[in-house]
Amino acid sequence: MAENSIDPEKWVDRYADYLFNYTIVRVNDREVANDIVSETFLAGLNSMKNFKGEATERTWLISILKRKIIDHYRRINSNKGQAEVKMNFPDSENEGEWLEEKVLDPSHRNAEDQMENQELGLAILKCMEQLNEKQARIFKMKTIEGLDTETICNELNISPSNLWVIIHRARTTLAQCLEKNWF
Amino acid sequence: MNLKSLLGLNCDEAATACSKAQYKETSLREKLKLRLHLFFCKPCKEYSKKNQKLSLLIKKAKIQTCSEVEKEAYRQRMNNAGSHASKR
Repeated sequence: MAENSIDPEKWVDRYADYLFNYTIVRVNDREVANDIVSETFLAGLNSMKNFKGEATERTWLISILKRKIIDHYRRINSNKGQAEVKMNFPDSENEGEWLEEKVLDPSHRNAEDQMENQELGLAILKCMEQLNEKQARIFKMKTIEGLDTETICNELNISPSNLWVIIHRARTTLAQCLEKNWF
Repeated sequence: MNLKSLLGLNCDEAATACSKAQYKETSLREKLKLRLHLFFCKPCKEYSKKNQKLSLLIKKAKIQTCSEVEKEAYRQRMNNAGSHASKR
């Protein structure tokens, strides 16, 4: 038996959030991200025989996802015709013709921060895979979707004290999982 | 009954109050009891610190996940593809 097995039935439950989060920060459009993620799952299904079990399922799916994201950018670039890059190099006499070129792009300052936050988001989602289904679901509803306690209790038919015990267990697991790299 | 629970909360109750506090759902009464408990109970204080750090990290990460509806759409597309695969 291969070291890592493959089980497409579980893909959506296990990896959809991770893949989605990976994609949305790169394409910045929900609909496009949804398309890319579901194309990734389809491509995975079609090339399951190529899965050698050398990498984990997630790593394998991500490598497909990366190609899909590149494909997406190729496609929108070819729609525009040629991708255009205009550059004016400032010299000592003429520091760029436009005022905009003299002003530092404020997004540069945050680029590193943003990258770290993306990495952090993926680390958290990866750790969430350690939770059992119920814990993950409730933790996600409460923490990421920000639903209030009453709504969750009604929907899942659990008591508030039950909810808090589950949240406590989920948070303990997550804190332990993240402790090594992020605390 | 031990000393800690005499002070208002036992450690399990403190853990719950601590989690509630991460979502700003503690009442004033609970908040005070929790403070008192944490003052005397080192392990709970440690746990509380970690819990706060976790909240901070989650906030910083600005995680975006897909909804159940979107996930169902993925499943649907996979199922359709699966049933057509044999014809291709």
